[in-house]
Amino acid sequence: MQGKLVWSTALAAVLAAAPALGANSVAGKTVKVGVIADTSGAAGAYGSAQKNAYALAADDIKAGLLDAGGATIVFDVQDAASDPAQVVNLTQKFATDGSALLVGPTLSAEAKKADPIAVRAGLTILATSNTAEGITAMGPCVFRNSLAEAQVVPEAVAAAVAKWKPKTAAIIYGDDNQFTKTDYDIFQAALQKAHVELVDVETYHTGDVDFKAQLTKIAAKRPDVLVVGSLVEEAAKIVTQAKQVGLNAHVIGGNGLNSPKFMELAGGAAEGVVIGAAYFIGNSSPGNRAFVERYTKRFGAGPDQFAAQSYAAAQIVAHAVKEGATTSDALCAAFKRATSVPTVLGPVGFEASRDVRAPSAILEVMHGAFTAFK
Amino acid sequence: MILQQILNGIVLGAVYALFALGYTLVFGVLDILNLAHAAIFTAAAFTALALAARGMPLPLAFAAAVALAGFAGILLDRVAFAPLRARNAGTLAPLISSIGAGIVIVGILRGVFGPDEHRFALGTAGDAQLHAGPLTFGVIDLVVVVTALVFMLALSYVMRATPLGRNIRAVADDRIAASLLGVDLERTIALTFFIASALGGAAGILIGLQYNSVSVEMGSRIELKGLAVIVLGGMGSITGAVVGAFILGAVETLSVAFISSSYRDAVAFGVMFAILVLRPRGLFGKRALRTA
Repeated sequence: MQGKLVWSTALAAVLAAAPALGANSVAGKTVKVGVIADTSGAAGAYGSAQKNAYALAADDIKAGLLDAGGATIVFDVQDAASDPAQVVNLTQKFATDGSALLVGPTLSAEAKKADPIAVRAGLTILATSNTAEGITAMGPCVFRNSLAEAQVVPEAVAAAVAKWKPKTAAIIYGDDNQFTKTDYDIFQAALQKAHVELVDVETYHTGDVDFKAQLTKIAAKRPDVLVVGSLVEEAAKIVTQAKQVGLNAHVIGGNGLNSPKFMELAGGAAEGVVIGAAYFIGNSSPGNRAFVERYTKRFGAGPDQFAAQSYAAAQIVAHAVKEGATTSDALCAAFKRATSVPTVLGPVGFEASRDVRAPSAILEVMHGAFTAFK
Repeated sequence: MILQQILNGIVLGAVYALFALGYTLVFGVLDILNLAHAAIFTAAAFTALALAARGMPLPLAFAAAVALAGFAGILLDRVAFAPLRARNAGTLAPLISSIGAGIVIVGILRGVFGPDEHRFALGTAGDAQLHAGPLTFGVIDLVVVVTALVFMLALSYVMRATPLGRNIRAVADDRIAASLLGVDLERTIALTFFIASALGGAAGILIGLQYNSVSVEMGSRIELKGLAVIVLGGMGSITGAVVGAFILGAVETLSVAFISSSYRDAVAFGVMFAILVLRPRGLFGKRALRTA
């Protein structure tokens, strides 16, 4: 009797485990993913793109265009309104409401508040737009699929220096934002390494609209290259006003400029600007073209990097769920195993440090669109 | 470079002046800060943008949006200020209700236009650059500076030499006495709000055109500077608002040119603090602010 029970239990266990190797074990299951995105407030433009991407991904999973092994993945996207207190509230909500994963928040500074709470609650985190140093070091299950500026900027600087052979450069950056401040540090180091002399450094504050005083000062020093450490709204005005004060240097920028919004806002002044980026809308990764088409059709504008990284996060989650991971711990383990998940960014894996391993892109604005910089 | 920087400062000062004129007018008449002024400024910019995007010629879109901003000002007064005025609610309650009205207006704008930054179609404002010797400036910069000066002169004229101006000044001086002498109080206040909000709306549209950027955040960016400018110039003083604005623009620009862009705001507000220590009522203030 006893033996029979052991055997039948073992048999049941084997039967239960067997499909885990196939694709059906998660069919019908629901995995809840908590997403914190700033769909309003100062970072509203980024969070809105992220929200769009999850809405598209959820529908793609339902329609079978994105394979999650038959499971339903619910992306519970909540607006943190660019407010740190709201970020903390939402993190606490997701830590206790049965979510298997926290995706986000939008900004690095917010992540520094949210992640410790989620880590204490044992919630796995996948950041899609936190590029500051030290994000993944906050916990053993904190991942990010966004290339850090430190991964993309040096390559872009090296390529630009090889082509333009500049002797001098000036930098303008936002000194009240973690991301743009990091941009400055990395650009400065990369320029130094390339033996380009830095003749002027100017700063601005987030939300400024007039940069003419700084740019006039830079123009007087006649640098060969103008480095823009900025997010897209300010960057568009900086390149426009640079032309207006007669500053005709080559322009190079970081990931923050990587949005179709940049050309939309800057118009002709964007031509020739080179950026180091984590996503190229025209890349040939499998599924990217279809993603761009569906996204554009649904939201009326092409996906920016924030949308692409969020959609890629959904692809990574779907891939892990398909492998049978439906809990926080299992997702953490599945992410650690991931070496080359096909996404719209290209094949994505994670380093031992849980930072992303993904291809970077060096882009140049030509005829109002990003093209590969050669 | 120094001449160019002075020119940059003048253009920036004109931007602040446009915004501050309407702000200071309402304060001069009612002794209240209308913190929804920035929201009307933003709403007018979006209105002009939406009208221009639907093919309306820019001057027409400008005029229509300015008029709508004026009527929005009257509506704002009826909803947020008049009920409190009728109950003698003092100056703090209207401050709060104007903050609330501002939040509602911006919230509606965000709902309609989204959080993204918008721009006028390229070339709407004329991207032409003018060169005068070593100086470079845009046509739109010139328009903004001239408009700020024209508005200031026109407003001074209206206040000094027209019956409406006399009524507004009478109400500003002593509301009850003015009313006893036959000034139609509510009508005068409504007209004050119309003028102030139309001016604020014009500022929003011109600034949106100048930087070719219209967003729901644009009001909050200029609000604090506008407040600083009218305190510096002397609360309620029209000349003071314009002079204060040009001082702020010049100090901001020159602190970038000669000190460091990182200390721009610290230097600008430091200078304003120093001026206010020397002259607590502001440059052109007629009386010191009542102490609590």
